[in-house]
Amino acid sequence: MQQVFYLVQKEFRQVFRSKIMIGILFVAPLIQILVLGNAVTTDVTNLKVVLFDNDRTPMSRELLRRLANSEYFIPIEVEDDYTKLSQYMDRFEANLALAIPGGFQRDVVRKSAPKVQAMVDGLDGNSAGIALGYVAAIVQKYNADIIMMEPGLRNEARAVRQVKLEPRFWFNPNLESRVYIVPGLIAIILTIITVFLTGMGIVREKEIGTLEQLMVTPIRSWQLILGKIIPFAVLGFIEIIIIMVFVYILFGIGVAGSIPLLLFESGIFILTTLGLGIFISTISETQQQALFFAWFFMIFGILLSGFFIPIANMPEVIQWITYLNPLRYFLVILREIYLKGSPLAYLLPETFAMIAFGLAVFTLAVVRFRQRLV
Amino acid sequence: MTDKNAVEVVDLVKRFGTFHAVDTISFTIRQGEIFGLLGANGAGKTTTIRMLCGLLKPTGGKATVAGHDVYREVPKIKKSIGYMSQKFSLYEDLTVKENIEFYGGVYGLEKGQIEEKSTALIRELGLENRSNTLTSSLPIGWKQRLALSTALLHDPEIIFLDEPTGGVDPISRRSFWKLIYDIADAGKTVCVTTHYMDEAEYCNRVCIMYQGRIVELGSPSQLKEKHNLPTMQDIFIQTVDR
Ligand SMILES: Nc1ncnc2c1ncn2[C@@H]1O[C@H](COP(=O)(O)OP(=O)(O)O)[C@@H](O)[C@H]1O
Ligand SMILES: [Mg+2]
Repeated sequence: MQQVFYLVQKEFRQVFRSKIMIGILFVAPLIQILVLGNAVTTDVTNLKVVLFDNDRTPMSRELLRRLANSEYFIPIEVEDDYTKLSQYMDRFEANLALAIPGGFQRDVVRKSAPKVQAMVDGLDGNSAGIALGYVAAIVQKYNADIIMMEPGLRNEARAVRQVKLEPRFWFNPNLESRVYIVPGLIAIILTIITVFLTGMGIVREKEIGTLEQLMVTPIRSWQLILGKIIPFAVLGFIEIIIIMVFVYILFGIGVAGSIPLLLFESGIFILTTLGLGIFISTISETQQQALFFAWFFMIFGILLSGFFIPIANMPEVIQWITYLNPLRYFLVILREIYLKGSPLAYLLPETFAMIAFGLAVFTLAVVRFRQRLV
Repeated sequence: MTDKNAVEVVDLVKRFGTFHAVDTISFTIRQGEIFGLLGANGAGKTTTIRMLCGLLKPTGGKATVAGHDVYREVPKIKKSIGYMSQKFSLYEDLTVKENIEFYGGVYGLEKGQIEEKSTALIRELGLENRSNTLTSSLPIGWKQRLALSTALLHDPEIIFLDEPTGGVDPISRRSFWKLIYDIADAGKTVCVTTHYMDEAEYCNRVCIMYQGRIVELGSPSQLKEKHNLPTMQDIFIQTVDR
């Protein structure tokens, strides 16, 4: 155990002596929070919408009025020529086109599935999903109001119809994206710090030759591994706390749930990232290679985590693949704890998934690391 | 010098794919001896040393170091040897004192022992004024001597030095060799690789490696007599040229 102490001490001395490391650890997260917290916005406002009404009845006009009056939409035109809608879309002059077909009011009255057609600019899948969400919410409300006006319906049926809301907006009622982004940022920054520092830290020693020097000493490979991961795990936790403080000061967003639970879940999560760092060090001879591999894994990890693109918006096959991504679970857990204050009991499936992945990745990495030593 | 063997190597082979980096070599190093492994770049010196230090598994053959088998008793070997790799082996971003403390700690010395050794070592090397400066700021000659001293902290029986004087000026090389003599005088065995043939003259016995094989083995004077040549330099050129 004494050997591990000296390894850890050495690592901390090196980290705190390096201006670059201080920058990576303390300045970079601040910038990331400031920039991402403000720039990666999933708020979709000022959507330009073209409306087309082929029904021209009181009911269709009422629906259009509601859409046009929504704070999220700017109606640029009410068209009477259907073919013009696609022209607007093609020229990117509208983000959204809504068409009410003839016979809408008749279908509503007959309760025979009235339809509204919506065309969304899908280039930005994320905004598209949210824009559709707005439309859905407005239509839903419209539905509900019509049903309320209808005398024949039983109360239970009404209730059931009305509660149906887009769940995505539940815990972020103002659709303020920052609230949603911030817990994600903790996950991303923690991933970056632990994967990169562990991987690069080991490979750097390979490059300068000190790893070989360490390998002729009587220290065991598990001591060497502990000596490498303890410092970066500790730095990871310090990092989480720093981010939470930054976020509270800058955006006034605090943790709704238990901070010890949040740290506990983070501890499980970094088992995977530290393992990945060790694994990367076994397949890289130089720091450049390590950097490349780290990015390679992290791009997939982040893109398939639901941080930028909601998983529900992904193709089904990709959605299945995201189940293999521990970051996906950690993101859910962080958002639950941060925003809803969920207790551990509600987070068990995700927690167990992370434990399983963590143990698997970490064990594989350590086995590979030991094989490579001699 | 005694007649016990510190290192015994019999038909040792290391293959990388189909390439024989070390090709069936045999030699022994006696206790207290300064043994030189000579050869041009790529001759197989580093590969040989790494197998003896337990850093690389041999492909075939037998070898013992301090009586321990290189296949099965690597942990025991590690306790009995010191090693200075071809690459620089100290942390440039740690101070002189921190480097000594670190390696002492990793070798399992106790805190008091580390303190004691590091003070003595810093005094011996004349680094009193520099013990708290970063190792990167030391001249290369001093760095090499410091590296050697840290490799000796745990008092090993045998010490392997892989091109310890590469890139070092002649004056520093002399003082480095003085240190090697001190080590041998203290009863330790030294195995050193070099491609400076003047350094070969300082060794008790040498072997010359060429393309993974040993082509000459003996004391410098024996070899000079055998080939009837005045210097190791001439012998090296002749053996490698034929
Ligand atoms: N890990 C390795 N994989 C493949 N070839 C290697 C490896 N290590 C060394 N070699 C090759 O083995 C030969 C001997 O290398 P080395 O022992 O380093 O020579 P020396 O130390 O005498 O300069 C060289 O040709 C080198 O390229
Ligand atoms: Mg070499």
